[in-house]
Amino acid sequence: MSVFKEFTKGLWQELPPFRLVLGLCPVLAVTKSATNGLGMGLAVIFVLTWSNILVSALRKVIPRKVRIASYIVIIATFVVIVEMATQAFFYPVYEALGIFIPLIVVNCVILGRAEAFASKNGVFASALDGLGIGTGFTISLVVLGGLRELVGAGTLFDVEIMSAVYRSHSFSFMLEAPGAFICLGVLLAIMNAVSAPSSS
Amino acid sequence: MKAADLTVSTGSHWHSGARITDFSYNTLLALIPAIAMGLYRYGVCAAGVIGTAVASAMIAEAAMQKILGKPVRIADGSAAVSGLLLALLLPANTPAYMVVVASVIGITIGKLCFGGLGANPLSPALVGWAVLRITKPWAGYLDFDLALINYDLGFSMQYPLAVLKASGSSGLQDFNTWNLFLGNQTGGIGASAIVCVLGGGLYMIARGLVRWEIPLCFLLGVIIASCLFRLVDSAAYAGPLFHIVTGNVMIGAFFLSTDNSSAPINRWGMVAFGLCCGMITVVLRVWSVYPDGVVFACLLMSLFVPLLDKLKATPIVVRPTRAQITRKTVEGGASS
Repeated sequence: MSVFKEFTKGLWQELPPFRLVLGLCPVLAVTKSATNGLGMGLAVIFVLTWSNILVSALRKVIPRKVRIASYIVIIATFVVIVEMATQAFFYPVYEALGIFIPLIVVNCVILGRAEAFASKNGVFASALDGLGIGTGFTISLVVLGGLRELVGAGTLFDVEIMSAVYRSHSFSFMLEAPGAFICLGVLLAIMNAVSAPSSS
Repeated sequence: MKAADLTVSTGSHWHSGARITDFSYNTLLALIPAIAMGLYRYGVCAAGVIGTAVASAMIAEAAMQKILGKPVRIADGSAAVSGLLLALLLPANTPAYMVVVASVIGITIGKLCFGGLGANPLSPALVGWAVLRITKPWAGYLDFDLALINYDLGFSMQYPLAVLKASGSSGLQDFNTWNLFLGNQTGGIGASAIVCVLGGGLYMIARGLVRWEIPLCFLLGVIIASCLFRLVDSAAYAGPLFHIVTGNVMIGAFFLSTDNSSAPINRWGMVAFGLCCGMITVVLRVWSVYPDGVVFACLLMSLFVPLLDKLKATPIVVRPTRAQITRKTVEGGASS
């Protein structure tokens, strides 16, 4: 039961971009479309899960003083794997995400989970934690990307949803950086309003 | 006794005796000449844009205040002023959906999300306009040359700043400064009626509702920056008078940059704010991709207001005399 909880907490309680408000740089930058959000999310799930596993397995070996450097080395290893794999097999996604794949190395969510969870818990729990947080991250990115793509370009996963008239006059403000901030802020406000204890 | 570690800052308000309602309705009154000029020029289309902007701003404010559980205060007129200022910046042919989106975003995101009137760091009208400006498929409607193609007003129908952007100051032979000052130019519904806006602004200053520092320094900043550019190359850059009588400078100096909650409240802060707004305006006109830079200059400088308020802040309390200070220090030294 408690193991299951390690997974589900990442889906709402500690949803990375909205609850922890961590890793915002890729969240804002790559969510111009739902596809990009999904690609970024899957990359993060892979890196987060494996780095959690490795950090947790090595937690008694790594000296406390150099732990951050060690975590970065571990994370960077998996990021390089992801980068090479996307370049080889998903080239359009690799093109679209650009610099933000190498930048997963310094994503606060991953370093944060390594420091806050994996370095203190067992391998199995850490793997579930990584999977859960990564899934929550992916869902957030897809929702944010989908919303921005739908309003900003009239498409969803590159499928044309809105009419041609809308698409040629779309509200492309949502695809710009300020649109990303406003969209994130509004979603955050709605989430807080929904989960706030009712003050009657 | 230890000397108290007090933070000295300016009082959070200046008071002219007017209430919010007085301020709003006087602003509306001061803008009537500009509105009249716009209606005379552009006819019922302009009335549509103004009506849509004001109505949607007020409805958005009322709806948002209901949702947030705050008392509905649209009767104070501040939402109407924001909507009106936004409409005066737009060309008469702006489609209604653009006007609605701009004023709703300006009021909800730009104002009420930050806590409503008095807490907004940016002027709602400017936020709405900026949203339209950076929405690429809509930007064509904001280019006055295209938007006003169906009009023939009997004077040069080219937007002066677009001409300046396209062909440098050599293209400005057609424009007579005095004519531009009288409002014989294309532009926003109200923003292009330079002399009417100036009159309204002077009325606001005379009533004590707008402090004179910001408008004066805004214009001064425009003059300084354009003179500097002219020193570099007098053939390529337009002169200070041209910059003052075109585009949004006049309405920006008197009505946009003086928005109460997004402008500084101490004198030196206002001076710095006005000068920077004016200079950034000219810099944006020369170097940015957009013809006019007033709105972005005001938005940028509004973000610096918390810092500008610290500039030579004068505390409200009476300053202690030197003798009092010395006595306090001596007492403090004795007891510690």
